[in-house]
Amino acid sequence: MREKVVHACESCALREQLVQMGVRVDRFDYVLALAGNPNTGKSTLFNALTGLRQHTGNWTGKTVARMEGAFEFNGKRYKIVDLPGTYSLLSASVDEEVARDFVLFANPDAVIVVVDATALERNLNLVLQVLEITDRVVVCLNLIDEAERKGIEVDHRALSRELGVPVVPTAARQGVGLGLLVQTVAELVQGRLRTSPRRVKVDARVEQALAELVPLLRQVYPDLPNARWVAMRLLDGDYNVRRALESGDLLRLARREAHDQELEQARAQAVSILSLAQRLQRQLEGTFRDRMVESLYAEAEAIAQKVVRRKGERRWDWDQRLDRILTSRVWGLPIMGLLLMGVFWTTIQGANVISDLLATALFWVEAQGSALFRALGAPWWLTGFVWHGVYRGLAWVVSVMLPPMAIFFPIFTILEDMGYLPRVAFNMDRFFKKAGAHGKQALTMAMGLGCNAAGVVATRIINSPRERLIAILTNNFMPCNGRWPLLITMSTLFVAASFPPAFAAAVAAGALVLVVLIGVVTTFVVSAVLSRTILKGEASSFTLELPPYRKPNVLAVLYTSLIDRTLVVLWRAVVMAAPAGGVIWLLANIHAGGQSLSQWISGWLDPVGRAIGLDGVVLLAYIIAIPANEIVVPTIIMTYLGAGMMTELESLNDLRRLLVDQHGWTTMTAINLMLFSLLHNPCSTTILTIWRETKSAKWAWLGALLPLSIAFGVLLLLNSIVRALQ
Amino acid sequence: MLDNSVLLVVLLLLLLIFAPQQGVYARWRQKQWLRSRAAMEDALMHLHQREHSGRLASVESLAGALGVSTRLASMLVQRMEAQGLLQVTAGGLNLTPEGHRLAIQVVRAHRLFERYLAYETSVSPAEVHELAHRLEHSLTPQQVEQLDAYMGHPLSDPHGDPIPTASGEMPEIEGQSLVDFPIGTPAQIVHVEDEPPHVYAQIVAEGLRPGMVVRVLERSPTRLVLESDTDEHVLAPVVAANITVREAPQEKLALEGERLSALEPGEKATVLRIDDACQGLTRRRFLDLGITPGAHVEVVMRSAFGDPVAYRVRDTLIALRREQADWIWVRRDGNGTTPHRTQGEDDGEVTNGK
Ligand SMILES: Nc1nc2c(ncn2[C@@H]2O[C@H](COP(=O)(O)OP(=O)(O)OP(=O)(O)O)[C@@H](O)[C@H]2O)c(=O)[nH]1
Ligand SMILES: [Mg+2]
Repeated sequence: MREKVVHACESCALREQLVQMGVRVDRFDYVLALAGNPNTGKSTLFNALTGLRQHTGNWTGKTVARMEGAFEFNGKRYKIVDLPGTYSLLSASVDEEVARDFVLFANPDAVIVVVDATALERNLNLVLQVLEITDRVVVCLNLIDEAERKGIEVDHRALSRELGVPVVPTAARQGVGLGLLVQTVAELVQGRLRTSPRRVKVDARVEQALAELVPLLRQVYPDLPNARWVAMRLLDGDYNVRRALESGDLLRLARREAHDQELEQARAQAVSILSLAQRLQRQLEGTFRDRMVESLYAEAEAIAQKVVRRKGERRWDWDQRLDRILTSRVWGLPIMGLLLMGVFWTTIQGANVISDLLATALFWVEAQGSALFRALGAPWWLTGFVWHGVYRGLAWVVSVMLPPMAIFFPIFTILEDMGYLPRVAFNMDRFFKKAGAHGKQALTMAMGLGCNAAGVVATRIINSPRERLIAILTNNFMPCNGRWPLLITMSTLFVAASFPPAFAAAVAAGALVLVVLIGVVTTFVVSAVLSRTILKGEASSFTLELPPYRKPNVLAVLYTSLIDRTLVVLWRAVVMAAPAGGVIWLLANIHAGGQSLSQWISGWLDPVGRAIGLDGVVLLAYIIAIPANEIVVPTIIMTYLGAGMMTELESLNDLRRLLVDQHGWTTMTAINLMLFSLLHNPCSTTILTIWRETKSAKWAWLGALLPLSIAFGVLLLLNSIVRALQ
Repeated sequence: MLDNSVLLVVLLLLLLIFAPQQGVYARWRQKQWLRSRAAMEDALMHLHQREHSGRLASVESLAGALGVSTRLASMLVQRMEAQGLLQVTAGGLNLTPEGHRLAIQVVRAHRLFERYLAYETSVSPAEVHELAHRLEHSLTPQQVEQLDAYMGHPLSDPHGDPIPTASGEMPEIEGQSLVDFPIGTPAQIVHVEDEPPHVYAQIVAEGLRPGMVVRVLERSPTRLVLESDTDEHVLAPVVAANITVREAPQEKLALEGERLSALEPGEKATVLRIDDACQGLTRRRFLDLGITPGAHVEVVMRSAFGDPVAYRVRDTLIALRREQADWIWVRRDGNGTTPHRTQGEDDGEVTNGK
């Protein structure tokens, strides 16, 4: 991971001095924190400095957990922590708390506050709060390229004077200004740069309360650098700060180490501090937060007025015109549908070609390999287990999984990077509201299209607990990438097959859109039912940020989605597929009472399978595939192959012959299978993620069993109706 | 013959077990209930409420309030008397000092929890009381303190009832019933009684909340006509009797403006205030985003289905649902006049960076 920075840096001596060290954070001299409003380019800056590929995206709340990396500059090693974006350090939603606690309790050597030059006022609100906590701050005035395009000019020298800390203008994506930023940070942490941070003037009544509380705090904690801020947090009833006071952690904050005796004393005095704080708080009649934020914004406004200059007409136009179309009553939905359709069409078209190539190549290798084994005189079971079991499982997963993912991820990420996803949430919110859910659920669903576990983690952006649970429990109804191959194969083989070849891909894409639509409708219905039963409540606290459209960073996108996402997901599939291949081969080749184990098991499962229009083999495949949905298709194929007379399968046509001619599949079977794949329980990783995110086994169970019973219910109903009609 | 007698024995046994009130199962349930924290806490609350309103509780009123038989209620009273929580006197049931102290803590937990449910979660106002009532009994004292700290030691619950402090002090609410408040004088609602539920539901449906300023327009034995910022409300006297008001303080009188949701795309406005009734999560979110008095807002666009509307606030595009935009009071910027709040800064001049 040691590589020299290649981006343009203005003072080129720096090029030699900055060494990106990726995730190697074991030994370091200084700790830096990256804080800032959401979507200001923190992760982009983080990536530029460390050479890592932390995901970035043009929407609020892309990063929800902290991420660490490292770089070396002038022989010193820096650990740098990318934090989730927050509008303020006062609020307390899950992701914001991560940021707040780090800045306050981890005591970093410097905090780099990344601010958006196009919305300085809002960003200064946070800067001013950070300045209350620590004076080791460097402000990174990011997105100056965008500001310039919009005719906004920020006088960074004046801003620096106003704030009392260094301000470095940057364009993180282009690498502009990073050298100077690192240089400034280095000087700050080494004590060669003095700061005198601006302190906010607060409202008279708050000032009065502070005048009572701060002296008491100073008396108990003489070394506390930010007594004033701690007092403010106490007046706001901040639970974590209160606890730090009660446990004596605050003492450690002041000095990094404390004797037991001192701790004891501090704890004893916490009681009197807290009761004074509570009395003052009551005197303010719960208006502290309002007064505080008003003062902060008033100050931010005043500063912005001095340093921001707008040139003539504002050029929001391009953005606004695009928005008018994308969110219009007439065009909003059709465009969304067309985009989805386009993405699928491209995926299917491209995937078919690559899939065939890969399959041919990989199965040629299988033939050669097994021939070699045989020539070397290996026993039949060894050849079988290694080549027709483990290797074949792998080969299937690679040839079926890789192509759609390699095409879908980049296209999707480009849409994400442009800022289109929040517009989808904006357009669809009406339905979410009806279902008692949060519009941001649309964003987490979009993430779910990639991977449900990621979708579940992304729900952290929803800050009301009830709506977040709904989003978690229903994320499974978005088919994740592991399920795409099955859906694509089925819609190509069965649905599109009855249309002229010229339209086949379009029809298959249409079928996929339909499947996703069914998933979306199911999500709404289940959300609505949940919010009228066990998660009773009304839709609440909705705010959705619509970021400006941005030119996607195509190269970075290709890199992140190809190397990172695709390979990671693929690796997971491979890790699951190889053992599964072995298991399948064993099941098919261990015989008892004249039948193989897989025949026995699928025989038992068969009645259940038939009832929902599938068969025992499919259910067996789903059981084997609980760890990863990716291996459903390979498992079905291999089990059929193990039982049937055909052993080689070289193309989709062979597959069609296997399923239709030998195992009696019909279009209805394919539809049932697609529905089952869409609705059934999430993979084990997702279930574990639900458990981690909700900290409750109850919700994890519900998250698994609810979809499963819905899948069975829907299929049972559908097939009963079909049977009755025949 | 034999068959019949077996059947009879079985029936008798079943009766013995499942008979209402006297059956084994019913008695077991009653015993469980008597021992439960919920029963005692609900009883304490009832006694406290009665004491507060000047009429002492009786076994009958207790039975009514808890929805159990008089027999069971009197058993509960005996139990609590033995524990030194209450005294039976000629006038009724009296709380002992210890009983009083406990009762205040129960009231505190209940009101804090109601506030939490109403402002921090998304339970509908009509269901808050019911839910709080069921869940409050499972709170530990630490959790109650956490809740209190988390919400910043609030003074009152969503109905305007004062929340006692941890040490048991409870400020009185001062005010008078809306029924006999003088016509024409601006009145601020300080309390809305949440029992009985159907009356409370009516008040909620009218959108009347503590903190709101209203004016009585006309009064007759059958109805009372009120005017609020935006609406006219017609109430039956029984409903009005559940609303306590006091003369509106001066600062509240200057309130004017309209809801942000009333504006059309393209219009601009200045924020006057966030509605008093908007508390907790939503209010904090608004503040974080810079929706503070004096901020400029521009209505940018409606979404495809009309509902969330995107507003530009402090150079950021933020979508709000109608309900949220309803909380924000604004003054439309007239043509030409762009009101700008100058803060108490030392200089109003724009200084150049030289
Ligand atoms: N034009 C331009 N775009 C940038 C710049 N820095 C970041 N971006 C883009 O801004 C978007 C947001 O960047 P991120 O790095 O994901 O932002 P973040 O601050 O980590 O966001 P959260 O994780 O949501 O808090 C991405 O689309 C970036 O490509 C910049 O300097 N100029
Ligand atoms: Mg980020």
